[in-house]
Amino acid sequence: MKKILSLVVLTALLAFTSLTVVTNASAEDVKMIGVISKIEMAKDGKSATATLKDNKTGESVPILITDDLTLDKFKDKRIVEGDEIRCKFEKVNDKNNSKIFKKTAGC
Amino acid sequence: MLLVGLLAGMNLPHPAQAADEELLQKVDKLYKEIETLKGSVKKVENKSIGRWLTIGGDYRFRYDYLKGSTKPFTDVNATFTNAQNVLQQGYFNAVAAGDAAATQQFAGAIAGMTSFSQAMTGVKTYNQALTFLGNNQAMLGALQNYAVTVPAYKPENATLYTNKLGLDLHAKATQDVTVNTRLVMYKVFGSQDDQAVTNGDAAPYFADRVGVFDGTLGHVPSTSYLDVDRAYATWSNIADQPLWFSVGRRPSTNGAPSNLRLNNERPGNGGTPSLLVDYAFDGMTIGYAPDIEMLPGAYAKVCYGRGFESGFRSTPANSIADTDMLGVAVIPIDTDPLRVWLQWNRGFNIFDAPTMNNTYFGNTAPKVNLGDIDWWGAGYMSTLKKVGPGDLNFFTDAALSVTHPNNNVSAQFGFQGLMTGAFFNPEAPTSKTGWAVSAGVRYDLPSKTKLGFEYNHGSKNWITFAPAADDMWTSKVGTRGNVYEGYVIQELNLKPISSYFSKTFFRVGYQYYDFEYTGSNNWVGAPVKMSEVNGQMMTTTPLESAHDVYATFEVHF
Repeated sequence: MKKILSLVVLTALLAFTSLTVVTNASAEDVKMIGVISKIEMAKDGKSATATLKDNKTGESVPILITDDLTLDKFKDKRIVEGDEIRCKFEKVNDKNNSKIFKKTAGC
Repeated sequence: MLLVGLLAGMNLPHPAQAADEELLQKVDKLYKEIETLKGSVKKVENKSIGRWLTIGGDYRFRYDYLKGSTKPFTDVNATFTNAQNVLQQGYFNAVAAGDAAATQQFAGAIAGMTSFSQAMTGVKTYNQALTFLGNNQAMLGALQNYAVTVPAYKPENATLYTNKLGLDLHAKATQDVTVNTRLVMYKVFGSQDDQAVTNGDAAPYFADRVGVFDGTLGHVPSTSYLDVDRAYATWSNIADQPLWFSVGRRPSTNGAPSNLRLNNERPGNGGTPSLLVDYAFDGMTIGYAPDIEMLPGAYAKVCYGRGFESGFRSTPANSIADTDMLGVAVIPIDTDPLRVWLQWNRGFNIFDAPTMNNTYFGNTAPKVNLGDIDWWGAGYMSTLKKVGPGDLNFFTDAALSVTHPNNNVSAQFGFQGLMTGAFFNPEAPTSKTGWAVSAGVRYDLPSKTKLGFEYNHGSKNWITFAPAADDMWTSKVGTRGNVYEGYVIQELNLKPISSYFSKTFFRVGYQYYDFEYTGSNNWVGAPVKMSEVNGQMMTTTPLESAHDVYATFEVHF
């Protein structure tokens, strides 16, 4: 029975983990974990700039967010200043365009 | 210009030059002090309580009107009590009358009953039960003479008031480590016990409302004590990966999608689907939330919880194994428009009764392990914005329960097994499969009015692990039959002050339970079709239908 259970658990996790192999971070993509120190919504509400303080370096990094899901969370205060964020962004010219912007997972 | 300044300076008297130098020194000193103060302020700000500790909570006043309709049955507990009382009274009467023959007869009967009860507790397996029953036919026949039959009746509680207070503390202890605590008080007006929801001195209606126990503390009304409902530490970003470990009293109650009717925020990564689990477990979780662009919000976790701690094993008095739960959750997508969950749970060494005090059955405790149960679940919930004037929320959830009974039977419940048998009528261990579906919709209007409806159905052999659900009669997700619920939430248009999510609202709702089989939320014994209930020996009162009209005034802060 223990072997079966171990197999079930392992299979489930492997199946899920395999999804992570499908996509790899682009060479131009940057990942970071940081706390939001500032959120600035654009007047038209279609974009926002969130400044993250990198947990590793302490540097402040501005992230440009344009996806509706994240913008909705800013508007609904489900993501606010002080929240810790896992972020993946793409450097384009002088801008850091957000590709993934989510709260650190836990519990 | 600079040269002119220099020339002018050279012409100034020496005292003036000295004064300027002194001034410059003062300015420089002030600048350094300002920089030092800035650093100090920053340190103070970083240590400010608001930076690392968040305090919030909720208060709820609730009114319930409860009405039901029962089927006639033979109350097992009352029957044994009646037999004991009649025999004892007969003995005392005989002694008082000086009737030696009658005295001896009653004394013998009492001794026989005592021996029967004691021997009964020694029965552990199905085969032992068959042997015991075969050897005690006379006693069983005699017991029928003391049967307490309860005719059908219509229980009603026109005004049940409850007070519930929850306090939440969220502390950022160190980088990547947080501690969450939730303290809850939940009581009935004018009471410091659970009698109002367990049917007092009469046979309770459901196994999950016999009394308050570890898994339902703070979720079934009891006392005004502030109990620990949740207390867990979480270590996130392990090895800089989206990997976390969390341990403690788990956030395993009020999971998705019950947040809709409760008007709570979405559970996030925590919690379990409410159709499968609604139980305050102590346990731990390992989770992983990879960054997959095509699957936003995806995560998976392995959860473990302890349902019963047996204590020292292999002792002369204890052969009960611990009851544990293991679960694997895969949430392939978690966004506002769509959240999908896939869940497998396994309950190991399911007990026959939790530890409870002062119940209708006295003090109860696990006496035997009945086997294991597998649960499989899949569901989704969605929020569609701007559907007409408001937002539309909806969900569907489905689950399967599969029992794996061992050869054990519960002596304290008349040799019933895991979803098998009836009182004093054991059934050979057989795996039983049940299923359940749950669906709901809520429409949120710009006026902060939210209209909701939910439907639940459970099959004959459906069993869940959700005694802590926020329902008065019994956890609706465990019903063997149908439950319909409609509700209206009206949030007051008041500016939040204590937190972004502060709100004040009223909720008015109605639940209708249509029970098709007995034993909802009870894994001891086989279900009986409600239409076939007609006086059988049962430990709980068979409720055929039930209504609950409720209204709440709630504050989240």
